[in-house]
Amino acid sequence: MLSPFANEPVLELRRSAVRARLSDALARVDRELPINVPVRIGSDERVGDQLASTDPGEPERLVARAARADASDVAAAVAHARQGLRAWRSLPAAERARALIGAAAWLRERRLELAALEVRECAKPWPEADADVCEAIDFLEYYARGAIDLEPGRALLQMAGERNELHYVARGVVAVISPWNFPLAIPCGMTAAALATGNAVVLKPAEQSPALGHRLVQALRAGGVPPGAVALLPGEGDVGAALVRDPDVNAIAFTGSLPVGLEIVRAAAEPTPAQRHFKPVIAELGGKNCVIVAADADLDDAVPALVSSAFAYAGQKCSAASRVMVHEAIAEPLLQRLAGAVQVLVVGQAEQLGTEVPPVIERSAQERVNRYAELASEHGRIVARGAAVPDRGWFCPPTVVSELPPGSPVLEEEVFGPLLAIERVRDVAHACDLVDGLPFALTGGLFARDPTTVRYVRERTPVGNLYINRGITGAMVARQPFGGNRLSGTGTQAGGPDYLLQFVEPRVVTENTMRHGLEV
Amino acid sequence: MNSAAIAPGSPDELVERETRRVGTELADAFPSVARHPIRALDARALELASSDRELRAALFRFVDVVPACRSLDDLARHLTGLLDELPDAPPPIAAALRISHSKAGRAALGAAAAGGVKHMAHRFIVGETPSAALGVLRQLWERGVASSVDLLGEATVTEAEADRYAARCAQALEQLALAARAWPQRPILEIDGSGPVPRANVSVKVSALTPLLRPDAPEIGQRDAARRLRSLLRQARTLGAHVHVDMESLDSREAVLELLLALLSEDEFADGASVGLVLQAYLRDSPDQLTRILAWAGDSQRRPPIQVRLVKGAYWDHELVQARQHGWPVPVFEDKADCDRNFEALTRRLLQARPAVRVAIASHNLRSVAHAIAVSRVAGAEDRELELQVLRGLGDELQDALAARGFRVRTYCPVGDLVAGMAYLVRRLLENTSNESFLHEQANGTPLDQLLAPP
Repeated sequence: MLSPFANEPVLELRRSAVRARLSDALARVDRELPINVPVRIGSDERVGDQLASTDPGEPERLVARAARADASDVAAAVAHARQGLRAWRSLPAAERARALIGAAAWLRERRLELAALEVRECAKPWPEADADVCEAIDFLEYYARGAIDLEPGRALLQMAGERNELHYVARGVVAVISPWNFPLAIPCGMTAAALATGNAVVLKPAEQSPALGHRLVQALRAGGVPPGAVALLPGEGDVGAALVRDPDVNAIAFTGSLPVGLEIVRAAAEPTPAQRHFKPVIAELGGKNCVIVAADADLDDAVPALVSSAFAYAGQKCSAASRVMVHEAIAEPLLQRLAGAVQVLVVGQAEQLGTEVPPVIERSAQERVNRYAELASEHGRIVARGAAVPDRGWFCPPTVVSELPPGSPVLEEEVFGPLLAIERVRDVAHACDLVDGLPFALTGGLFARDPTTVRYVRERTPVGNLYINRGITGAMVARQPFGGNRLSGTGTQAGGPDYLLQFVEPRVVTENTMRHGLEV
Repeated sequence: MNSAAIAPGSPDELVERETRRVGTELADAFPSVARHPIRALDARALELASSDRELRAALFRFVDVVPACRSLDDLARHLTGLLDELPDAPPPIAAALRISHSKAGRAALGAAAAGGVKHMAHRFIVGETPSAALGVLRQLWERGVASSVDLLGEATVTEAEADRYAARCAQALEQLALAARAWPQRPILEIDGSGPVPRANVSVKVSALTPLLRPDAPEIGQRDAARRLRSLLRQARTLGAHVHVDMESLDSREAVLELLLALLSEDEFADGASVGLVLQAYLRDSPDQLTRILAWAGDSQRRPPIQVRLVKGAYWDHELVQARQHGWPVPVFEDKADCDRNFEALTRRLLQARPAVRVAIASHNLRSVAHAIAVSRVAGAEDRELELQVLRGLGDELQDALAARGFRVRTYCPVGDLVAGMAYLVRRLLENTSNESFLHEQANGTPLDQLLAPP
């Protein structure tokens, strides 16, 4: 019998003794770099150096050398997964759960080194890197339990002379295509959900974070997931595309940008001749997340929450705040305080404790953010730009812009970087109209102290996750199931009670219990 | 400690006997509530609030939002919005909700509520500015009560706000020091065995001196706050004033303690200013903190000795909730008796450590205060080697009783406008209506014997 689910505690970094352990872990990881990431299919491994991942804060530092999967690897991985699926899906949920919980234990034992690897490979500052490792552990523990609960199926109406049963079975082979911004937690969440429910997984981690994808597969295998049930295909977009088209893939779990998500949905919708099933796409996509600040908001709370929601990890979270709609009555003090707070943000290397704004992931990301920042200063007024950025690494200064004209791309497109736009609104209804005009509906925030305002926004907002009087990032497994509506996603929320249902298909069995006119 | 286990004639027994004697004397010196009709009214209002969790929450949420309301109508809407959420409102509240349906009713309700909050605020906050508070501070001094001024303000999130707070502290130090020169002599309040005790005393918060306090990187905030605190210490030394560095939540403790000890170790502060820090007894690791402080005080030869203000700690709910949300070990005692016992153990260690430190016991718990006095006396020290501190508005009776019995008592006096004062006010009100609170027990007529029993 498993203990009830509890979130893995993050490190108590306010204690100096805990902080002291981090630099040792980083030194240990540095000695191992670069990490060799193989293509792993069944028991086969093939190393290579066609792909490289580097430290965004020190682009000369090679973090991982990875083999690049090709079309034949995709075919082989999917074929292997079809084989491996048979044994895996026929295990009782409790046994699959044991393997996932074993993987969680493997991660837990190495949590400092894993966080250190996130510091290097993705420039995640320590507290966020640690939180990502904890979230990965949470997903394993949570879905392991969820799949056990799901196994008996659902109760149906029973009638004399028949027995009705509803149970759930795995869909089959699930392709998991994951991003780099939560380099362990997000691939782990999608993979764990698929595995817990009896699917086999072919994982294609982001090309920016192959080393962490590799660690995830190591954890799963070490925990007891058989080689046939999980494969690792490091690679770029073409690998993902080939997976999506493979006729033997039964479902696709994807987290990433809207354009790629749309491509996947389109490709998956068109069955290839050999294909005998629909391919559901479970997609978590972008956002243009808005925070409404009502006239009675407590700015002492709102300002720090806005700053961390918009700029922590350089804004590279799908949940990050990118627009603030502030009631005109308090717009001036908010702008002033926000500007001052952004000027003191600590921009620096992820390994330095205290860093709030690390570099963005890669050169092209830096270029994209800078393009939006230029647009912002052309169309609007720059209210604040953060401290000078280090000259090595893909840094972007945190920036706040106001007075943008309606329709500016800065107000409508996902920037995925440290750029926050402020708009004045007449009232909360006006703010809700603006939110309603967006195609995205992922996270949203409200600062208000009148319960009537809270009720109003709660009823009107389309977002998947609405946060009231707090920051809008940092959803916790089992506490804040996470995921968006509209074009922000096709799935139900990760880390919540309904998520696993997307990885199974229902089957109903009805048996006639009458024999020779008698019920037996 | 079990009183039955104390051997007759032992030092512990002497302390217990003295604690009861002092406690009884102080209780006898408490002004009668009957002579303070307004306090009696406040007490009834607080009693109503403490008896109903939901109502208490609604009222505190209301007090919190008062300064952000733009009109009486807005105020009334907030009040009724919050009260509407109550599952079943007591009759006076139901009446308030009924009158809120008309505009005139809302104006009346808004005015009444604003008046009520302002009245409550004035009980805890002595003035909007230091100069406006000087009259009250002088009256207190004349009645034999010293003070420490605490400048309330919004949270510091920018450098400009940190500079502004530092400038307000500097101005307060100057105005206080200047005004205090004209105060009459009160030897009990201004001298102890280590020398003169400054009349002008300002409590400062490191979290307001820098926008950069980060729990995981204390040195960043420390560095930023150091330049502002250093200039306040210089000024206090020149003026002969005291700077007391407050302690806040555990998130900033390391930054605050390391900052202060590092600054005081600098050569220029080897002989002044008069400085104090705070030890929070509700923290489980407070004994280790005290060891660190006493080791530093023993090594450092600086004069005057640092003053350690022992408090229970005011962020109990915050610490508990934060630890639970993160899955961390709870850093505070969850049982009141454990906390009280720790308070007494720390009291004994602090008093033994004199004269390397000056000691202030800040508590409204009659037992804790009487115990500190008793320990000090049994150790053979004069009463002036111990300072007792209370909060304005909460410890007024105790303050008067202590002053009447000739103890050095200092009242912590918040100064600031209503907007800035709300967070402080809510915290004080929460404390005052907590069922665990000594004041609450006392108000409910718990017998003196029980109030003075060892925890």
